[in-house]
Amino acid sequence: MSSHGAASSSAPERGSVGIIGAGPFGRSLAAAAVRAGKTPRVYSRDPNAPKIEDAVLTDDVASMASCELLLLAVPSEYAGALLERLSPALDGSNFIVHVSRGLVDDHLNTMSHLVRRTTPVRRLGALAGPLTARNLSVGHPAGGIVGSAFPEVIEATRAAIGCERLRLYGTPDLVGVELASALTGMLLFALGYARGMGLSPATLGVLGTRGLAEMTRVGTTLGGRAETFSGLAGVGDLMAALAGAPRPEFAAGLAIANGQAPNEALEEAEGHVESDQVALRVARLADRLQVATPIADAVGALLEGSASPTEALDRLMRRRVDRE
Amino acid sequence: MKLPFSKLRQRLSQPARLPQWFRTPTSPDEPRVYGFNGERDAIVSEVVERITTEQGAGSLELLLSETAHAEVMRLEKQKDDEAREGLSFWRGLLRNLGKLDADARRATLAEITARMAGDVAGNFDPRVYWVARRVVPRVIAGVINPPALVREVFGSGRGEIDSMITVEGATAQLHRLSRTGTLIYVPTHSSNLDSLALGDTLAREDLPPVVYGAGKNLFTNPITSFFMHNLGAYRIDRRIRAALYKEVLKVYSTVLLERGYHSLFFPGGTRCRSGMVERKLKLGLAGTGVEAFTRNCLRVQGGASPRRVYFVPVTINYGLVLEAETLIEDHLKETGQARYIIEDDEFSRINRWAAFFNKLRGQSASIVLRFGRPLDPFGNEVDDEGNSLAPGGRVVDPVSYVSRGGVPCLDPRRDAGYTRDLGQVLLQRYRTETVIMSTQLVAHLLFRRLVENTPGLNLFARMRRRGEFFVEHEALVQEIGHARDRLLELEVEGELHVSPFLRSESPDRTLERALSAWSYHRKTLVRPEDGKLWIDEPSLALYYQNRLVDWAEALAVGWPPMTRRAAAEIQRLGGHA
Repeated sequence: MSSHGAASSSAPERGSVGIIGAGPFGRSLAAAAVRAGKTPRVYSRDPNAPKIEDAVLTDDVASMASCELLLLAVPSEYAGALLERLSPALDGSNFIVHVSRGLVDDHLNTMSHLVRRTTPVRRLGALAGPLTARNLSVGHPAGGIVGSAFPEVIEATRAAIGCERLRLYGTPDLVGVELASALTGMLLFALGYARGMGLSPATLGVLGTRGLAEMTRVGTTLGGRAETFSGLAGVGDLMAALAGAPRPEFAAGLAIANGQAPNEALEEAEGHVESDQVALRVARLADRLQVATPIADAVGALLEGSASPTEALDRLMRRRVDRE
Repeated sequence: MKLPFSKLRQRLSQPARLPQWFRTPTSPDEPRVYGFNGERDAIVSEVVERITTEQGAGSLELLLSETAHAEVMRLEKQKDDEAREGLSFWRGLLRNLGKLDADARRATLAEITARMAGDVAGNFDPRVYWVARRVVPRVIAGVINPPALVREVFGSGRGEIDSMITVEGATAQLHRLSRTGTLIYVPTHSSNLDSLALGDTLAREDLPPVVYGAGKNLFTNPITSFFMHNLGAYRIDRRIRAALYKEVLKVYSTVLLERGYHSLFFPGGTRCRSGMVERKLKLGLAGTGVEAFTRNCLRVQGGASPRRVYFVPVTINYGLVLEAETLIEDHLKETGQARYIIEDDEFSRINRWAAFFNKLRGQSASIVLRFGRPLDPFGNEVDDEGNSLAPGGRVVDPVSYVSRGGVPCLDPRRDAGYTRDLGQVLLQRYRTETVIMSTQLVAHLLFRRLVENTPGLNLFARMRRRGEFFVEHEALVQEIGHARDRLLELEVEGELHVSPFLRSESPDRTLERALSAWSYHRKTLVRPEDGKLWIDEPSLALYYQNRLVDWAEALAVGWPPMTRRAAAEIQRLGGHA
């Protein structure tokens, strides 16, 4: 057993930042960290990934454990294997904050659940809200939200990428932030699809509002707080997309409605889209939870091919109308 | 400033203790708690010192004012001697607070804190522990079975009481860990008998006794008062709302854990009214485990290892629950009207105790205590040597969880985060360490039939359908056989555990066992008549079956759709697990 009178030599340096994933969002996080005065260590599985100015690029995932705060910017479907490789180098002194908009299984478990299951890290958080890779890279005025039960994780994330032009709010409702983020992605997919069908802005307004109510129902059933869904992780993200912020989920929905094959549309969207999986998972679990999820059901039916766009719309419109 | 509590009240609040004649000095090999009384004053002083020194001068006035206001509000409702005398003190403090200088405020805080800590601090008498350990079980056994009184009281065995409780799980590991670290037992909570059952089991397994916080009402219960006053329990007065009092409790608990006193907390906060395995934990004082460990880390020097803190999940599983009728009645009351503290239930009536133990007699293994594998304060499993294990089994240093830049530091907000997460791990553990008893399975099958026969009704409407539905005896026996086999499969999958009798007895005998146990209750749960079993008290069936809500659908696999629908409805009673 180790001595604890002085700082352990192998412990990560306080305030050090690592970014796992060198895709568009990972690179923009690195740019934001550099702007905040940090020298981030960035992991890319590709040893020949393009350099990032003032950042240390590495393909050795275990070396990332030398950073106190790790920003995890990889799609949830690849995160499990990556975390298993990284886990042996981690301990309780690391913080992990992820930016995933996905869910990891059919029980709608979130990325933090996966991190807890595969690593010894317990100080976890999720970064969400209307943050786009472009805003982060260029440094446009922006805001986001960090969900974590640990205030020091929120503070470390602010110190790592926050600046005068990036306001990062905090909430202890980690699972609420994760679910709001994933479910907003699903809703954007539905809105993109509806736009592609030629539905009017007024119809999109109804769909967006009822979609928000639906995701709040699902999220609170799974332990999130209702106010998180009306905050930056939910409404903030939704408004940004409807105001024109580029969102791959919206683009994928639009393309599929315009006749593109779902696989192609999802691949061509600029950014990783997980909302199709989220919709299917929500639709499957909702019945067991006794939560009404008509929009997720409609998206699921469209993606599985069990309903045509007109049928899906009819099903939504024929539902009993009740108090809002 | 003097606190004007009357001598009479002080005398009444004094615990009944044995005189100090013939008291033997403690030896180093004895459990830590044997030396508690020698340390009591030092512990109280440390609590006072910590609270007064860590309280910033700027917020002192606010703290004293808030405490005085909260006490005035409480005592104005109380209207007794304590209220009259206490009120004059607190009102006086409120009047004079503005005139006190910083030193006088600090002295007042120290005085109030000392008073509160002195009231909280318990007492441990090894002689009472000896009596409780060796004599009481025999006397109870003798009382419930008078012909065996002489044999039980003077015999060498512990007889019938021992046969009522079966112990399962990680006791060997606990022996090792109790020597190198501080154990925090965190059991499920169904009955006020829980602390007695756990205390008796620890003694029986030769594990060191624990200190624990107990509601003040238990100190006035005629049956338990003497033992509460002498076996390390500390008093929690739930009527006191002042934040300072909560801080005193928290610091007291932290100091005990730092000093190595093994402790017991019920993280559910109060007895579970519904009969379900806990769905939500408050943890409360159990959260002091993280701070105690951090302070141990800060204290060690020169390569020494800090004393570890381990949480031990325990499920206490009853085939028959002493207070079942009162608890389920309280559960079914409208939300918000349920009583947090019940002082007039079966636990305070000697005749119900006698009836209860009488029923347990001959029903061996009616209580199964199952110890889960211990966890560190961060939710990691620990190995037999007490090392924390990361997922995958690698040893991980627990000090890293309370450190930044390699240096351990105190941070209450961080610790609150760890405690919340630990609560989630414990909920999961309670589920997998639950031991299903015969009564619970039979009640589930009866209740499932009731739900099947009343589609569309809500829970409260179903509770009123007394004596309207039955299950054929033969059909029920067959269902018990199927469900038992399914439970055994779930046990293999690591989902739950099955009690020894349910595992080994025939379905017929399982049904007999359940019917016999339930005859303890004043209300008739089920009435056999002409080869049929009529469900006379659905609320009791609900109470016992609620332990199984998480597995209702799994037990209905292979049954017709109507049964599966009923099972799904029952499973939803538990919410999202």
